[in-house]
Amino acid sequence: MQIEFELVKYDDTLDKFDLDETMYQLEISDEDAQTYELLKSSDLSLYNWLKEADFFLKHIVEEVYPDSKDKKIAISDINGITFRRFYFFKVTSGDSHYEYFKKLFNIFEESEWQDREEVGTEILEHLTKKREELIIDLSKYSIEADV
Amino acid sequence: MDNQYIEKMLSKMDKDLSKHGMSRRDAMKMAGLSGAGLFMGTTTGISAEEEKIVKSNAKGKIVIVGGGLAGMSTAARLKLKMTDPDITVIEPGELSVSYQPGQTLVAGGIWDEDDIAYKRDDFVPDGVKLIKERAVFFNPQENQLTTDKGQVVTYDYLIVAMGLQLDFERIKGLEEAGRALSAGDNKKLLNALGDDGICSIYTAKGATKTWEQMQKYIAQAKSGKKTKFVFTHPSTPIKCGGAPKKIVYLTNARLKEAGARDNAELTFYPNGGAMFGVPEYHDAIVGQFKRENIKYHYRHNLIEVDKENKIAVFDAKWQEKGPWDPVMKDFEVIPKHEKVRVPYDFLHVAPAQIAPREIAESDLGSAKGWVPVNKETLQHIRYENVFSLGDVAQVPMGKTGGSVRKQYKVLVDNLIALMDGKKLEAKYAGYTVCPLITDIGTVMLAEFDWTVKPTPSFPLDPTVERWMWWLMKIYALKPMTVYGMLVTGRA
Repeated sequence: MQIEFELVKYDDTLDKFDLDETMYQLEISDEDAQTYELLKSSDLSLYNWLKEADFFLKHIVEEVYPDSKDKKIAISDINGITFRRFYFFKVTSGDSHYEYFKKLFNIFEESEWQDREEVGTEILEHLTKKREELIIDLSKYSIEADV
Repeated sequence: MDNQYIEKMLSKMDKDLSKHGMSRRDAMKMAGLSGAGLFMGTTTGISAEEEKIVKSNAKGKIVIVGGGLAGMSTAARLKLKMTDPDITVIEPGELSVSYQPGQTLVAGGIWDEDDIAYKRDDFVPDGVKLIKERAVFFNPQENQLTTDKGQVVTYDYLIVAMGLQLDFERIKGLEEAGRALSAGDNKKLLNALGDDGICSIYTAKGATKTWEQMQKYIAQAKSGKKTKFVFTHPSTPIKCGGAPKKIVYLTNARLKEAGARDNAELTFYPNGGAMFGVPEYHDAIVGQFKRENIKYHYRHNLIEVDKENKIAVFDAKWQEKGPWDPVMKDFEVIPKHEKVRVPYDFLHVAPAQIAPREIAESDLGSAKGWVPVNKETLQHIRYENVFSLGDVAQVPMGKTGGSVRKQYKVLVDNLIALMDGKKLEAKYAGYTVCPLITDIGTVMLAEFDWTVKPTPSFPLDPTVERWMWWLMKIYALKPMTVYGMLVTGRA
């Protein structure tokens, strides 16, 4: 089975994400394909699995960014499942993103007093922490690749 | 409500019950056993009687700040579950345990203020010390607090149950009202509201005033003059989220009763974008509003009252479609707002509600002022010897007596577990209940929890308005709360 994925590059100093804008493809084993099938309906489980998969990291440091030991990246899309909202959410983003993050971050506020700006700000506060879990620091893996 | 209507209601109820293999007699028997328990979240009604109490010998000085329903019921339950507890309650209000859910009924002319007034001193459990002062400074690092009279109180364990404050002062034109509490004389508030159609059921005195004003403007409508009744819902969390709608329904009922409905225009202006957080109840309420010809406009927050010209000024919000976001692959949403001026004859104000300043400005408060607790264990997120419940606790929803009834048992179990060096295993699941009065004689029993789904305690369609729930609201809930929780700590 083949998976298609897209990446974002993270700039530490600006605390900013930029789309890589390249669609990458990777052949995975039957065993990994089974895992993919199991996890594809749970987006963050899928993300964490791929983020920590040896075959994926090896491919990234050897094929995608072979000369970027200090690079930090994150995955923006896996086979059409998008994680872009984690990096590019704004207070003006559409309602579907609000609903997603309210559920994810357990922001349950009685709808009668929801305030878009207030909830949006709270989502952004949560995202600051969540992004730390999502970012892949390639410097940790480049050394192994060199070896 | 005439006999024909009652028969129709009973017939519908019978039909509904029969789907569940239950007769009305069975239902009433069950309701009689568990009566108010159903309102308050008990599914069987026998739990209170059959609960086996295992007393703990745990030691430690427990201080409860706030002696309202939450604080005093917790004291009663700690007495029930501990052999020799050292408990101090700090509460300055003489009528702190008054029955707040009855304020809507006072405002609707069904009860009198005396029916809901209960004195703090009559409900202090034996052996519990009472400090009739107000806690004003908290020092959780040193396990101590200071009262407004300068008394320093130390504790091993602290329970924060200070309730919330009614923030009338943020409304331009009502600044002189300041912040109000539900009980007490509230003279400043009453003076600020005046006698020209402005009222609020969120205090006991205000509920009485609401009934006076409602009658005055119903009489005006009956005289043939077109009369505008305006109702608000603020931009903050509030106690009993259904109350702003209950007063709409009660006004509507009294207008119909007086034969004055045709000359009245009723309009509800909620700050939010829905009638209720649970879609099933939202849909039911919208249906009821349409049926009763009650208008509503979402996303309106009352910011000013021009008393002289009888104009309510709202900050109205709406959204416009923004530019295409190529990265997120959808359209942005641009929030907009503007001031809207609404003439009124009768204006019911549901005020913004906030945590007491003393908590908000202390280390015990969160950025929003409420006490941040683990929503399941009710233990403070930073201070393990501090717990909180009721209106002041920062849990996702449930500033109601029904929530407190679930919370106080969880809190007591977890506090005793902590004192005994055990794991905190009791969990609050977010249950809350709103007996939504939809007419004089009918109530829709909205029960739900953090699943944001109806969680009915009774095998009946929870979105249907029923006379049976009205009977329970009127006759069963108050004794259940006052005697079941405050006196025995068992309900």
